[in-house]
Amino acid sequence: MSYTTRRNNSGFSSRRERSWQRNQNTVAFAPRAAMGPITHTVLVALMIAVLGLIYLTQVTKTSFYGYTLNTQSEQMASLKAEQQDLQVENARLQALQRVKDSNVAKAMTEPKSVDYVN
Amino acid sequence: MPQLTQQFSRMPRSRLLRIVVLGLFGIFTLRLFYIQVIQHGYYDEQAKASQVSKLTIAPERGKIYAHDGAGVVPLVLNETVYTVFADPSEVTDASKVTQVLKNVAGGNIVSDSLARLTDKSVRYIVLARQVSRTQAELIQKENVAGIGLQKGSRRVYPEQALAAQTLGYVNTEGTGQYGLEEALQARLVGTPGTLEAVTDVRRIPLTIGKDDARVEAKNGDNLVLSVDRNIQSKAEQVLRDGLANVRATKGSVLVMDPRSGHVLAMANFPTYDPSKYGDVQDYSVFQNAVVSAPYEAGSVMKTLTVGAGLDSGAVNTNTVFNDSSGCATVDDRKICNVEEDPRQANATMLTTLRYSLNTGVVFTLRQMGGGEVNRQARDTLYSYFHSHYRFGQLTGIEQAGETPGTIIAPDQQEGNNVRYANMAFGQGMDVTMIQAASAFSAAINGGRYYQPSLIDGTLGSDGSVSSVQPKVLAENTLSPAHSAELRDLIWQARKQGFFGPNDPEGYKIGGKTGTSQVIDPKTGKYSNDNSIGSYLGFGGAETPEYVIMVRVDDSKAGGYAGTTAAGPIFNTLSNWLLKYLNIEPMR
Repeated sequence: MSYTTRRNNSGFSSRRERSWQRNQNTVAFAPRAAMGPITHTVLVALMIAVLGLIYLTQVTKTSFYGYTLNTQSEQMASLKAEQQDLQVENARLQALQRVKDSNVAKAMTEPKSVDYVN
Repeated sequence: MPQLTQQFSRMPRSRLLRIVVLGLFGIFTLRLFYIQVIQHGYYDEQAKASQVSKLTIAPERGKIYAHDGAGVVPLVLNETVYTVFADPSEVTDASKVTQVLKNVAGGNIVSDSLARLTDKSVRYIVLARQVSRTQAELIQKENVAGIGLQKGSRRVYPEQALAAQTLGYVNTEGTGQYGLEEALQARLVGTPGTLEAVTDVRRIPLTIGKDDARVEAKNGDNLVLSVDRNIQSKAEQVLRDGLANVRATKGSVLVMDPRSGHVLAMANFPTYDPSKYGDVQDYSVFQNAVVSAPYEAGSVMKTLTVGAGLDSGAVNTNTVFNDSSGCATVDDRKICNVEEDPRQANATMLTTLRYSLNTGVVFTLRQMGGGEVNRQARDTLYSYFHSHYRFGQLTGIEQAGETPGTIIAPDQQEGNNVRYANMAFGQGMDVTMIQAASAFSAAINGGRYYQPSLIDGTLGSDGSVSSVQPKVLAENTLSPAHSAELRDLIWQARKQGFFGPNDPEGYKIGGKTGTSQVIDPKTGKYSNDNSIGSYLGFGGAETPEYVIMVRVDDSKAGGYAGTTAAGPIFNTLSNWLLKYLNIEPMR
């Protein structure tokens, strides 16, 4: 039966190994590729651009509501004007002079006598 | 200094560039700080001024309705119209503009405007006015460069000239002129709303401003008049025919409800079409003579003098006076009846009204002074005319240009005995028809003076009418008992008189004629060539349901204009009203 310790007895030992204690992992995995300052700058710029795009989308969307509202207001005004025209036409058709000049009115006669029923 | 230059010359170029760049950034930063922080308020204002627009939301002018029996019908409505304008600098094809406008809105083109389309120095030309919505849509479809449409509104009168003077008109600035339109401008015009918002280049409001504000416009009141369209139309027709019969040039008719002071009709001739007010040459036709043309109403006022005599206790229905001479002397003046009048030793208040005796009302005045025309008599008559009947004061009817008329107080030099003797039979004082008819209504309705009014109420959005209560200005114009006595006297006087025998059975129709001489402006004296005929009376069964006053100027019929010109108009209208109002006869 062989028994080996984790202690390394070679000449060189890292700071982590030097400060080794029981139940502590001595292996650290560092990424091989590190981001340089240019990458950082590009990423930040991209993030700002995305945020800007989101902002612009929202603003445009809100502005678009303004146009929708305006279109609907114009539609309302147009319908109101149409309603006014119809009211005027209706009133003209029912005007007293027109009624008097109608064939029905011309055919009417004055009653000879009027009696009241109580 | 040379050391510093040496240091710079020894400095690496990259370092020098860094310093320069940093320096420039520093300057930019400082400048931006100045603009964005220190000058923030100023630029913020500038930005708002160019981006934020304050738009006015125009209210709709109130419409005007009249009664039509139980329902209501419109007399004045609004219609959307457009003004077509051009910017010649933007017009690319002037011939096409001309062609489109001539085809679509030929009758609305402003004269000579099309010829100016090629004048590039002008930026705004009105090409056509009062273009209808349909025409505007056709113009818009043509999509002609340089042409614009400006929206507006105009009044429309479906009944054309009906009640023209009562209504008035609205000018191009949107201001009411004459009649109701002017008198009730504040109620009709409404309150404009505002919209404060960020707008785009076309001034379309966007919803991105945090300070956007919208205050809705409040439309004007939709008024319902007490005027009945059918009565108004009949009054106008009867007046027109009546004036033609006596070849008179001018006249007016007023129909009132004595139980509320509501005006049922107010007609004038000559008249005009309010939608074509610009074509009117004689501006006097705009005036509503019923409220703005005071005159010496003449003998119709005898009814009110007798009423004052009864109420003051100076005379009663049994009072008898000697009229065998047919004349009465006041100071140095002799006042006589007309020659045809009977001379009786035992004349009464009834015969005074029956035969229109000047001597009868002078006697009444004399009795007010204890047997002579004196200050006491003048004070009493003035008190009734001014305080009870409210002559010399505006009635407050909803009409522009109402005039108070003239009544001379007894303490004035001109308010002497002779004047007051004349005033007793309606000369020497000016009243308007609305004053005379309102006072007459109060004198025969039991003594309650209602403020004459044209407004019944307002029309709600659900089509219901919110009526306003008639306003009582005074009780006891005459006591109820004396009012009843006067009403009976006036009825009996007509019944026994010229018109009464032709009145329909079962109704109480009362009234009094008046023929007043007119002062010739050239001589300053009463002229025998011209007179104004009046008739003031009531009709109904047990109680009066309408009061009619007729005025006819310049009748050529001969005789007394009150009898020959005004009386027939009253009779025709009164007989028609009995049927129209379904007044049941007494059994």
